[in-house]
Amino acid sequence: MSIDVSGLTKTFGDFVALDDVTVSLPTGQLTALLGPSGGGKSTLLRIIAGLDTADAGTVTIEGREATNLPARKRNVGFVFQHYAVFKHMSVAKNVAFGLEIRKRPRAEIDKRVAELLELVHLSQFRDRMPSQLSGGQRQRMALARALAVEPTVLLLDEPFGALDAKVRKELRDWLRRLHDEVHTTTIFVTHDQEEALEVADEIVVINDGRVEQVGSPDTLYDKPANDFVMRFLGETTDLAGQTVRPHDIDVSMSPGVAGSTPGTVTRILRVGFEVRVTVTTDDGAEALVTMTRTLARSTGVEEGAKVWLTAAKGATAVPVMRAV
Amino acid sequence: MASTSSTSVGSGSTVVTWVLRLVVVGYLFFLIGWPSALIVRRTFEGGTQAFTEALQDPDVTHALQLSVVVALCAVAINLLFGVGMSLLLVRYEFPGKRALSALIDLPLAVSPIVVGLALILVYNPRFGWFGESLDAHGIQIIFAKPGMVMATTFVALPLVIREVVPVLEDMGDDQEQAANSLGANAWQTFWRITLPGIKWAVVYGVVLSLARSLGEFGAVKVVAGNISGETTTAPVLVQQKYQNFEQQTAYAMSFLLVAAAVVCLVIVALLRPKDHKPSRATATAAIQEKAS
Repeated sequence: MSIDVSGLTKTFGDFVALDDVTVSLPTGQLTALLGPSGGGKSTLLRIIAGLDTADAGTVTIEGREATNLPARKRNVGFVFQHYAVFKHMSVAKNVAFGLEIRKRPRAEIDKRVAELLELVHLSQFRDRMPSQLSGGQRQRMALARALAVEPTVLLLDEPFGALDAKVRKELRDWLRRLHDEVHTTTIFVTHDQEEALEVADEIVVINDGRVEQVGSPDTLYDKPANDFVMRFLGETTDLAGQTVRPHDIDVSMSPGVAGSTPGTVTRILRVGFEVRVTVTTDDGAEALVTMTRTLARSTGVEEGAKVWLTAAKGATAVPVMRAV
Repeated sequence: MASTSSTSVGSGSTVVTWVLRLVVVGYLFFLIGWPSALIVRRTFEGGTQAFTEALQDPDVTHALQLSVVVALCAVAINLLFGVGMSLLLVRYEFPGKRALSALIDLPLAVSPIVVGLALILVYNPRFGWFGESLDAHGIQIIFAKPGMVMATTFVALPLVIREVVPVLEDMGDDQEQAANSLGANAWQTFWRITLPGIKWAVVYGVVLSLARSLGEFGAVKVVAGNISGETTTAPVLVQQKYQNFEQQTAYAMSFLLVAAAVVCLVIVALLRPKDHKPSRATATAAIQEKAS
């Protein structure tokens, strides 16, 4: 059982947001839809939620055909980037909304709301209005509101995108722990690769309306299907027709290794423990190498020095596919 | 003058500030303040007795009652259609939307007399488009209350819509979508989410419509046909009494009309919470989010 999306296509005028997307999102897991802005990931999420309709294709949620089901009948929880809190209702009323719509008995609603507010650490704020909460608190409230109806699937659209870096990081860890407690199938959209790598069990990389690769964070990082995925999941540099990670390049001061690329150090930038070395290779290309401060000192790398570069043994490398 | 120099840059700008203030105050005084004050003064020139006497005239009480009934009907209709039209204009895309939006402002641009004439053309029992068949079924529109309500509704049509539309746009549809995903149907979403969000705009629109409807003269005068004691509304009666040299009664009614309008506006000012406007930042953010 899972969420199955098949042949999904969506256009906005001339713009193709989704181009024949087929993907299966596993039950009980925390899945990230990762990709650059405008890549179609939010559109995919909204179509799964029933907030947008696809031009073609089908959506099946836990074996139930949902393509033409209105949002309110899909039993999904949706969390918006900008919280979408009900401004005129107290925190407790916000959380209770879905249950009140379902006409649950008052006692049950009160009990469930208390549990959820406990879960999102907002118990002491139950009678506040949303305008009195911080961004992070509002988003936690929105999450509790979505969880209240015991959704089959929880969908989060860039949930931490509007928060500042520190709160974002806290909430990210907290979401991971929450998911380990609640186990609701969760899909979240993000354009932050670090967020996806840190939190998700499974990552779906989406670009230009197409799925580039699906896999665990490690798989994606170690075995990227193409240079787009490789480039998107962290810093890369081109060396001898290959895309590699800058920290996976060995620098040697002598032409010892066969197949090494000769070049000259043109710039050195030190950021804390890290040293970023720009090398102009003899064929005129630029390569970026990062190493620790200690390694840089022991190798003797300095501006103007002649160096030979080799991809480290076991480094992830993908052939450069597009002309730059 | 020296006291204001702290807020302005130099003495030159202080003079400019004071001249501007004087112009604004003078403008408001000569255009609104003085004439309104004169009405009040004339009304109570001979003490309150003349005022109470004027209000005992059966013509006056009937006209006031009629005005209130017609205005309330028109406001009710405009409330219902105004909110509906606003939702349609903001939340839905359809061909001809811009044309419809422009058409809604027509009543503000067209002279009320023309509105009245147009209604007569359509509903006149002798040669109107619908008038004859309606008349055959015993329904009289022109020279009767329905026509007066229609004319008033027409004239006050844009007021609710123009108040509600910007607030709906500002609010965005995030909250409605959230309600939807939580299982609320269209009616529940409107009742529990949309309406509380636009509440103050609706109240303000209603009060403006009420004030406008109570004071409507031209359109109503044309369709009412001035059947004395039957289809004469308060503003029309003011004119009649004034022309018949019953100035005291005219002043008394004018005073009542002004007072009603002032009371309306004061009530709104008291009811309206200070922070009723949703922040523009969240609305723009919501738009950006949709674009991503």
